[in-house]
Amino acid sequence: MPPKHYRAPGKKKEGNAAKYITRTKATKYLQVSLNTFRKLCILKGIFPRVPKKKFEGNHKTYYSMKDITFLAHEPLLEKLRQKRAHEKKVKKAKARKNKELAERLLNRMPTYKLDRLILERYPTFVDALRDLDDCLTMVHLFASLPAVEGERIQVKRIHNCRRLSQEWQAFISRTHSLRKTFISVKGIYYQAEVQGQKITWLTPHALQQVLTDDVDFNIMLTFLEFYETLLGFVNFKLYNSINVKYPPILDPRLEALAAELYALFRYVATGSTRKPAENQSISSTEEKKDSDEKMDTCVNESDLQLAQLQHQLPSNEPGALMQLLEDSNNDDDDVDQDTIECKTLFKNLKFFLSREVPREALLFIIPAFGGVVSWEGEGTPFEETDEDIAYQIVDRPTQGHKFLSRHYVQPQWVFDCVNARIILPADAYMVGMVPPPHLSPFVDDEAEGYMPEYAEAIKQLQATAKKNVMPLPDLDNQDLADPQNLIADGVMDRTQANEAAEERQKLQLLEKQYHDELKMEMSGITYSATLSNKKSENSGSEEMQHKDEVVVPVSTEKNDEDDRAKLYMSRKKRGLYEAIEISNQRKKDKVALLKERKRKALASKSG
Amino acid sequence: MGKEKYEESSSDEEVNSSSDVVEASSDEEVESSSDEVEASSDDVESSEDESSSDNEKVEESDSSEDEVAPRNTVGDIPLVEWHKDEEHIGYDIKGRKIKKQPRKDKLASFIEGADDPKNWRKIYDEYNDEEIELTKDEIKIIQRVISGRTPHAEVNPYEDYVDWFEYEDKGHPLSNAPEPKRRFIPSKWEQKRVANLVRKIRAGLIKVSDQNKEEEHNVYSLWTDDTDSVENKKRGGYVPAPKPKLPGHEEAYNPPVEYIPTAEEINSYELMYEEDRPKFIPRRYLNYRSVPAYDKGVKESFDRCLDQYLCPRTRKKRINIDPESLKPKLPSRKDLRPYPTTCYLEYRGHMGPVNCISVDPSGQWLASGSTDGTARVWEIETGRCLKIWEVGEVARQICWNPSPDRPILAVVLEYDVLLLNSGMGDIDIQTKMKELLHISEPGATEDAGDSKSAVTWIQHEKHDGIRMKHFKAVSSIEWHFKGDYFTTVVPSGDSKAILLHQLSKKHSETPFRKLGIPVTAVFHPSKKKFFVATKKFVHVYDLSKVEKIQKLETGVREISSISIHPGGENIIVGSKEGKMCWFDLELSTRPYKTLKVHSKDITRVTFHRTYPLFASASDDCTAYVFHSTVYSDLNQNPLIVPLEILRGHKPEHGRGVLDCKYHPRQPWLFTAGADSIIKLYCH
Repeated sequence: MPPKHYRAPGKKKEGNAAKYITRTKATKYLQVSLNTFRKLCILKGIFPRVPKKKFEGNHKTYYSMKDITFLAHEPLLEKLRQKRAHEKKVKKAKARKNKELAERLLNRMPTYKLDRLILERYPTFVDALRDLDDCLTMVHLFASLPAVEGERIQVKRIHNCRRLSQEWQAFISRTHSLRKTFISVKGIYYQAEVQGQKITWLTPHALQQVLTDDVDFNIMLTFLEFYETLLGFVNFKLYNSINVKYPPILDPRLEALAAELYALFRYVATGSTRKPAENQSISSTEEKKDSDEKMDTCVNESDLQLAQLQHQLPSNEPGALMQLLEDSNNDDDDVDQDTIECKTLFKNLKFFLSREVPREALLFIIPAFGGVVSWEGEGTPFEETDEDIAYQIVDRPTQGHKFLSRHYVQPQWVFDCVNARIILPADAYMVGMVPPPHLSPFVDDEAEGYMPEYAEAIKQLQATAKKNVMPLPDLDNQDLADPQNLIADGVMDRTQANEAAEERQKLQLLEKQYHDELKMEMSGITYSATLSNKKSENSGSEEMQHKDEVVVPVSTEKNDEDDRAKLYMSRKKRGLYEAIEISNQRKKDKVALLKERKRKALASKSG
Repeated sequence: MGKEKYEESSSDEEVNSSSDVVEASSDEEVESSSDEVEASSDDVESSEDESSSDNEKVEESDSSEDEVAPRNTVGDIPLVEWHKDEEHIGYDIKGRKIKKQPRKDKLASFIEGADDPKNWRKIYDEYNDEEIELTKDEIKIIQRVISGRTPHAEVNPYEDYVDWFEYEDKGHPLSNAPEPKRRFIPSKWEQKRVANLVRKIRAGLIKVSDQNKEEEHNVYSLWTDDTDSVENKKRGGYVPAPKPKLPGHEEAYNPPVEYIPTAEEINSYELMYEEDRPKFIPRRYLNYRSVPAYDKGVKESFDRCLDQYLCPRTRKKRINIDPESLKPKLPSRKDLRPYPTTCYLEYRGHMGPVNCISVDPSGQWLASGSTDGTARVWEIETGRCLKIWEVGEVARQICWNPSPDRPILAVVLEYDVLLLNSGMGDIDIQTKMKELLHISEPGATEDAGDSKSAVTWIQHEKHDGIRMKHFKAVSSIEWHFKGDYFTTVVPSGDSKAILLHQLSKKHSETPFRKLGIPVTAVFHPSKKKFFVATKKFVHVYDLSKVEKIQKLETGVREISSISIHPGGENIIVGSKEGKMCWFDLELSTRPYKTLKVHSKDITRVTFHRTYPLFASASDDCTAYVFHSTVYSDLNQNPLIVPLEILRGHKPEHGRGVLDCKYHPRQPWLFTAGADSIIKLYCH
């Protein structure tokens, strides 16, 4: 009788050895090089697994056998093999100095498409949106890399990334689905909500990026290849959903001025309003639009002409763009409260960007929240001298000539307004001032246990703004300093209220002590006598202090109770309990550290 | 193919360009040709002749010019300088002077030149001092030379090669074979190849034009409505990559001040290990324009890529529960009263750590032994010290005889066990005790020793009792519940490690052989059973048959003490790693419950004799009180509830509470500490 786990040679494997395969063996199984395997894995989204038992050692990478057989049936594998064979042919031709053949072969490199893969990895559109974070971050990063011939990345691809990212931004801005923005050291984070999916991405600052040598661009480019295709299809679907033709045709004049985003806005705005049920106020536009629709049928020949026609129409009449935007706003009524709030934040406000302000970010954000924006340069919607401009965004030490009718604010103001969803007072963000701290909108301050000072200020402003909008009938406008009212308003959280209550109690205690001392002085008792009487004193003021006295034994009792319960737990549960306790403690320590730093900072400021 | 085309066209272009050149040159010739028209009218008749003579000229052109001798014979001298002032310019062949021609002034010569249409053809020969008029042919030759062609148009530089030699039928090494037929008919294989290519092109297998470059923008609606409805099932266990962490306040370009670490804190990061060090140190920039490009942006993106395709992914359940819900539901402590909670009395007097205590069965007296070499008896209710024995050595253990009419104390010293008369009880008892604790000298020695005596019973002179001298160090002592028998354990005693003694007969024996190193041994409280604890196991013996019944596996590292429930079916074992095991003998030989109670060694575990309580004492200066209900119903598991943690002793040389004992009738607990104090905890 052979042992239980004996397997006759040539017989089927069982268990982990049958379910998993190491990477080396997988490449052998697929008969591909490691590079090809890597590429396949990246494109197909296959990742290593952790088997229950690592049968070939701890230091190896294991793949699921199912994944590998899945790869073996992949048509892309065959394509990649063909490509490799083709590359060999080219190499051979070059080695034989047969330039002509080499060139001809190079022109005829086997190509593959990734659309099927995308559909396979993301069967529904929502799936694709859910996984879009990395895609957007990567595309935006590559869009900001230097488009220099001879670098490791093809210029064509960088331009493509740029185009895709701007199309995406135009869509987000048009549909007002941007929710949060954050300037970090790493770049600017954006969070948008599309079809109920929260999508967060990072764009680098608009500065020259450094290409480091410790990065393997082959891997990144493989990822990028997939992401470019994915974003292209996603953009197509999204543009379709708002009735805009994709790919967009841009005004070459604006494109030349590096204002592609603005050009896109205009394209999207005009495109999406091209609906049959539409009340058009301007007759001339109507005519042109009709002609547009006719021409749509014979798009292929006159695409460019059409595009120019479309762009001429709003630029001829300055109010036309706004009009069109409003029209389109009226017709989509199935939007949620959040979108409406976002849409109306900067409504009827005109912004002007100074030369030194990063244009792309603000050009993206401000229209996303309903504002109208212009900048210094050619092809802009309106000039700096426009009287209606409410805010001019500047980022310079001093502003020379000032219009009295507008506020001069730093860029951070826009980001903070967007995160707070109210128009913040511009005083703190004026030119040449150090702006208030910039807070991350992604942090839940209450869960974190620490609320920065400025966050509280913003909360109060939000509360007052809410009151102004819809005053509650039964609440008079009482002072905000009273914590009870704030709780009623839901402004202050409970911890704060507790703190306030404690403080009040302490104050009362001190007051009482002071009064007692005064009384004693009156009755002529010396200090040494009071010391001896302290005990009786304490018993006298027990009513006041009973809380403190109770608290101490309660805490030890609680401790005992904890210990008692811990004794009885199983080892597993105890471990879990302790781990939770440790993490809680860490959190508390962090908060304590922050408070300590804050205290020190305040002390150094005042002292 | 395209390339070829291109080349063809380029060659065409070359042709064109060359034709351009031709045209240009012909343009130049236009003027001269107009002259020619005039000339031709003169030369019409002689044109035939001329052309023929031209041909002749061509043949001897070079030599004929040389043959015409120059008129002037002075040679190649600078004429202008040497003959400037002379009237002649040289000599002719016969030696006659050649006179200078009369000079025309410049104006006259210019007017003459302007009048004369052939002036541009005239050249002044300084050497011969004459004006030469070039002929049209000469001009043509000059033009041809300038444009880099052969001087005479008639000369064909690419004449057909005339083979002057004859090879035919001369046996030359070149092939003699007749010209094959294939040279004269179109190739069949070429035709096939072309046909194949044509077929492939028509089938679209070969793309002639570069269509693929136009296909860049082919995006279409990939997700149609039916893909949304049809749930494409994913491969088993697809795990989407976790999303990157969202930034907190500290990552802002302008974070609040409290998020920026101080200089000292940043310096302290240097001392940390590489992996513990925070990856991101917050910094504050005072305005947006001063924020630099993030130099690790590309690298971080790359790392993310690596993570995505290299990191194994597994689904891990993130438990998000309230830690309070993990705690077991324990019965309320109020329902389990009475139990000891607060320190009621302290017994002070010992000068060193109190190793052991024992309560007398009546519950009136407390005996204690200490490292200061004394054993004492206290009155429990008052805390008064009644009696002190100077035993001279460290008292390791002390034990009252459980029988109420035998107030005897057994004290374990290093090698000896002293049986002392405590002096309690009335006169009858005292006389009995004196009889009991008297040894007639010779008998005792004989009783003990078969071959080599393990124990010798000797009368103690000083304290009026019995001294049992063991052959090796004694660790513990335990009385049988009837009070006649008792057992002592000699851990290093090998086969004589467990000794059973009978007090009435002053007799000792070693019934159990072949054990490990025993730690302690106890009697069953009602049956004829005997428990021996070795380091890891508890052996249960039947005393009547002297055989092993059970072996309990504790699973702890080293047992320190053991206690038997008064019912006799449950045992608790304390270990040196702070764990306590509860055994139900009817249930299993493995622990029913193991409690990790103390952080340090458990020194003693003990059951209460009447109340459902037990306790453990440990070196971490605490004593735990537990409730334990043992049900008579066998199906119901015993209920164990931790009740109270008793603190109060102070650590001394790393030791804490050394012993604990319950009062026999009251729910009181005595603890003996290394700080030489005995404490009484009451309810």
